[in-house]
Amino acid sequence: MPKAARARPPNEERRPRRAAKAADRLRRLLVIVPYVVQHPGSSLAELAQLFEADENELLEDLNLLFMSGLPPYGPGDLIDVDVSEGRVWIGMADYFGRPVRLTHSEALALYLKGKALLGAPGLEEAAALRSALEKLERVLGPDLLEGLTGRVEVGAGAHGARNLAAVRRAAERRERVEIEYYTAARGELTTRRIDPEHVFSAMGNWYVVAWDLKSNEERLFRADRIRSAETTGERFRARGLVGAGRPLYTRTERDIPVRLLLGPGARWVTEYYETEDVHRREDGSVEATLPTKDLPWLAKLVLRLGGEAAVLDPPELAEMVRRTAQETLARYRSKG
Amino acid sequence: MHPLERLIDLVALLLNSRRPLTFDEIRTLIPAYQQDDHAAAKRMFERDKDVLKEVGIPIELAATDVWDVEQGYRIPRERYYLPDAGFTADEVWALFVAAHAPEESGEAEYAFRKLSAATDPNVLSAMAERTAAPGVDASGPYLGAIADAVSRGRSIRFRYRPAQGKPGDRHLDPYSLVFRGGNWYVVGLDRVRGEVRSFRLSRMTSGIKETGKSSPPPLGFSASAHLAAGPWGLGEPQQKATVAFSPDVAWMAIGSTPGISILRSRPDGWVVTEMPAGPTDAFVSWILSFGPDAEVVGPRQIRHEVTERLTALSGAPA
Repeated sequence: MPKAARARPPNEERRPRRAAKAADRLRRLLVIVPYVVQHPGSSLAELAQLFEADENELLEDLNLLFMSGLPPYGPGDLIDVDVSEGRVWIGMADYFGRPVRLTHSEALALYLKGKALLGAPGLEEAAALRSALEKLERVLGPDLLEGLTGRVEVGAGAHGARNLAAVRRAAERRERVEIEYYTAARGELTTRRIDPEHVFSAMGNWYVVAWDLKSNEERLFRADRIRSAETTGERFRARGLVGAGRPLYTRTERDIPVRLLLGPGARWVTEYYETEDVHRREDGSVEATLPTKDLPWLAKLVLRLGGEAAVLDPPELAEMVRRTAQETLARYRSKG
Repeated sequence: MHPLERLIDLVALLLNSRRPLTFDEIRTLIPAYQQDDHAAAKRMFERDKDVLKEVGIPIELAATDVWDVEQGYRIPRERYYLPDAGFTADEVWALFVAAHAPEESGEAEYAFRKLSAATDPNVLSAMAERTAAPGVDASGPYLGAIADAVSRGRSIRFRYRPAQGKPGDRHLDPYSLVFRGGNWYVVGLDRVRGEVRSFRLSRMTSGIKETGKSSPPPLGFSASAHLAAGPWGLGEPQQKATVAFSPDVAWMAIGSTPGISILRSRPDGWVVTEMPAGPTDAFVSWILSFGPDAEVVGPRQIRHEVTERLTALSGAPA
């Protein structure tokens, strides 16, 4: 029986589309078909959601699938697609019953994203993710990840946050939470209500992007400094705040330009923070300007750099560092 | 006939054929290639083959029979199908989180969809409704290409903007990728300087160009050892340290430090803890970042190091 014997779907007129698009549609169809074969009667709406596709596009593709199959393309050779009452069944396509293997770039992308997430500590899913990546290595290894296993290292030593799971859940459910938040610079604990939209890890720390109802502005909170997080039972509408990839520091006019002299052990400061006017001196040390809103915070940074950094300007910061060092030292002296 | 239909027919045919099929055989079987102009049909077939490769379908050329006279095309089933990894529900969820972390990568999402084809639909739907996947920033647009070069042992060139000094071209034999402190680095042999260097991916200002075969990493190569010191907290644990924290910060240190345990609370409210400590420098830095809110009780050598640094910083004669 000639292939055209099957009735063409009514929306056929709008074609043909560009061939470039066919690759994307083939790719998508080859993931959807195995899913429907394994889960007969899946709803169109559910498929559209899972595969981030438009329902009409999906229907078009399924209609084309219905015209395909094996030679000689008789009724017993064509793939059976049944769409009724918004549900989909696919038959006569056992050979499409399992998904096609991953492409090289798919395997790499997922593997590396997984590895990066493992490098962000304190993630609830860490153990499951680790074993999933091991299985992935095993399954894909010979073909796709060979040459890369053992050559991707994830650094240890970053910090988790005890309320990470709670704020993640609140962000997912769009629930307003009340938090106790520690402002390190002032050594102060405040209580505030926030609408958390995103949680992301950057520079080895977890951050929460939220609307802060106390100051009525967008704020970035360090998750490890959230002492407690209680849900309020209220829901909020997302305001479209920007998540991962945003700058961690926003300059303002009130910023104080701090001039630092950095030894070799403190050179990372220019990598890590937004610095300006970076000059290398003859002896290899580096001068840089680090703008800050917050001198006490910078005093602690200099303290932490422990002799590898010196404050060139302003003098009150140099004094603050000395005072904090003396105060800290006093703890050690008093108990011998 | 729509190209998608033709492509599906081609995949179905080659996947089901018991032996490799020549183009002429394929042409007699699939009506879409049966136009009069043989050359045009062949060109269309070649383009289709490219599409299949792009989508990741392994289409191979092989002898059609044992006499090796003719070559034909086939899609070997053992290379087509994704092997079953047997993921648990928790593992599927973990992969979902990884695949949907922000930072554009439709590739990772595709990978996830294939890997989760057998998962319970209810589980998958519940996942798709969870909107806010946590993200890790700063992989930048070149990670995939560099990982590819590392895995295939290719030497690469790129433009780089260092934190100090002028931007310029770099020529690198990439040995390893390292994720540390929220950033990806590529570590390898800098061909111009003749030594091992590390480069932060977010400072690369161009894509990479492959320039040929890379030298292999030396035996026992450890990329982390070549990364400049940084603020990455405790470092790889090597010993135990006893540290007291003030009531203001104790909860924070306890909540964010892996492997920490509470030994006791002092009458003044300070909390004495024990934790794994890394290389002394990194650990001392971390302790100092708490200022007067933390005190190292032991070991003596770390305590000594802390007071040394504080003495220098306090401006008093040592």
